[in-house]
Amino acid sequence: MPRHDYRWLIVFAANLVLWVLVGLANHALTAFSIPFFADYATVHLYLGGLFVTYAALRLDPLHGFTATILTALLLDSAEPVPFGTSLVLFGLVHAFLLYGRLRFPREELVFGTVVALLSNLFLFLALSFLLVGDNPRPAEAWLRLFVDLVASQLVVALVTPWFLSLQARAHALARIHPETGRRVMT
Amino acid sequence: MLPKRFDQARPFATLGLIVLVWLFVPLVVKSFTRVTFFEAQAPFAAASSYVQDLQEFWAMRVRPKNEMIEAGRDLARLNASYELRLQENDQLQNEILRLENLLKLPPLPAFRFEPARVARRDFSGWWQRLVIRKGANYGITVGAPVVFVGGVVGRVTEVHAYTSVVDLITSPTFRLAAAAEGDPRPVSYQGGLNDSFRAPRGTVEFVPLDIYATATATRRLVTSGLGGVFPPGLTIGEITMLEPSTDGLFKTGEVRLDERLGSLTEVTVLVPLNPLEL
Repeated sequence: MPRHDYRWLIVFAANLVLWVLVGLANHALTAFSIPFFADYATVHLYLGGLFVTYAALRLDPLHGFTATILTALLLDSAEPVPFGTSLVLFGLVHAFLLYGRLRFPREELVFGTVVALLSNLFLFLALSFLLVGDNPRPAEAWLRLFVDLVASQLVVALVTPWFLSLQARAHALARIHPETGRRVMT
Repeated sequence: MLPKRFDQARPFATLGLIVLVWLFVPLVVKSFTRVTFFEAQAPFAAASSYVQDLQEFWAMRVRPKNEMIEAGRDLARLNASYELRLQENDQLQNEILRLENLLKLPPLPAFRFEPARVARRDFSGWWQRLVIRKGANYGITVGAPVVFVGGVVGRVTEVHAYTSVVDLITSPTFRLAAAAEGDPRPVSYQGGLNDSFRAPRGTVEFVPLDIYATATATRRLVTSGLGGVFPPGLTIGEITMLEPSTDGLFKTGEVRLDERLGSLTEVTVLVPLNPLEL
């Protein structure tokens, strides 16, 4: 690893930006109305899969894991789940992607989007199964979770190309190759 | 050189190692890490909230003067009526004090009112929480009740240096001893029915069989005061439906909650003056 190698920091900072933006969106989406359909509507976006995708597909294992773990701890600190829940779930997704990434065109945006969608689906369902038991009527809670999942997946599909490009561009600006950590001459 | 099969499994071995280390990390370290990460991200929520306040301020600045004069006049009327209420309140407080002394009753828990701006609303199917812009710096305590003009908002679950986290009454993890208005018998309230296209609802259990409520003839659900955390008589919502429970001994039902809970911008924390009493 070269000295002053801060690839993990670039990815973590990008994840932080996305996390703040998602927080703002969720803040605004707590109560709104849809004309002619519903006077009261609410939806919650969960983009967990997006936090892992770039780190797992493009970074080397050490920096990737570091960025993923830091992001997971950030999410865990702000959510009412046992501390370490996201750490284990994100770690699992990260390990799985690392295991299979050499077999796929991982630099393609389309492939990255598919991976983000699948990762997000897995993380959303895992969290739902872990937390839905607290609800007084779990069967009814699944309807709400389904709507949240659909909305989240739509946003993931829309945002992933931008977010992956943002992280790639940040590495390019820092003149650092995401996988090797070597200086890139322009 | 490691065999190829192990090399492929290296990510999972690394993850296993991380999880193993995590399991053996002392609780103190985990708590410290959690607090550190929360405090590191808290300024982002607070900053965006301040920016929104500034945005609202500038939006108000462009309003026509006539509108402001009308709003000022309405506020003056409200203030006059509140002045009257304050006088009534003082009389009632004195009456309560006199009766407590006469009957040698223990005093009701006393609270200090601490208004706070909402920095972040986080309403999902898993949890329903608010982050407010006041924390340990204003003496907020864990477990303190939070209210707004429509009644109960929730309870403070985490207190940080400059922010606090409030668990809403719509949250599945929120339970409270309540009572139907005008009836002293306690019932159990739990939040958690949060559909995407309907106002939030909660559930009531252990409702006596002689209490009735329907969608057309609702019954107000208020705090019972049991447990000492919430003062009695605060509005939780309206009971819209009651049906016999499976054991036939009690009724269970649904409570319609205030829609304004979804757009709260300011709340009041009832900080207990003597937390040891609670």
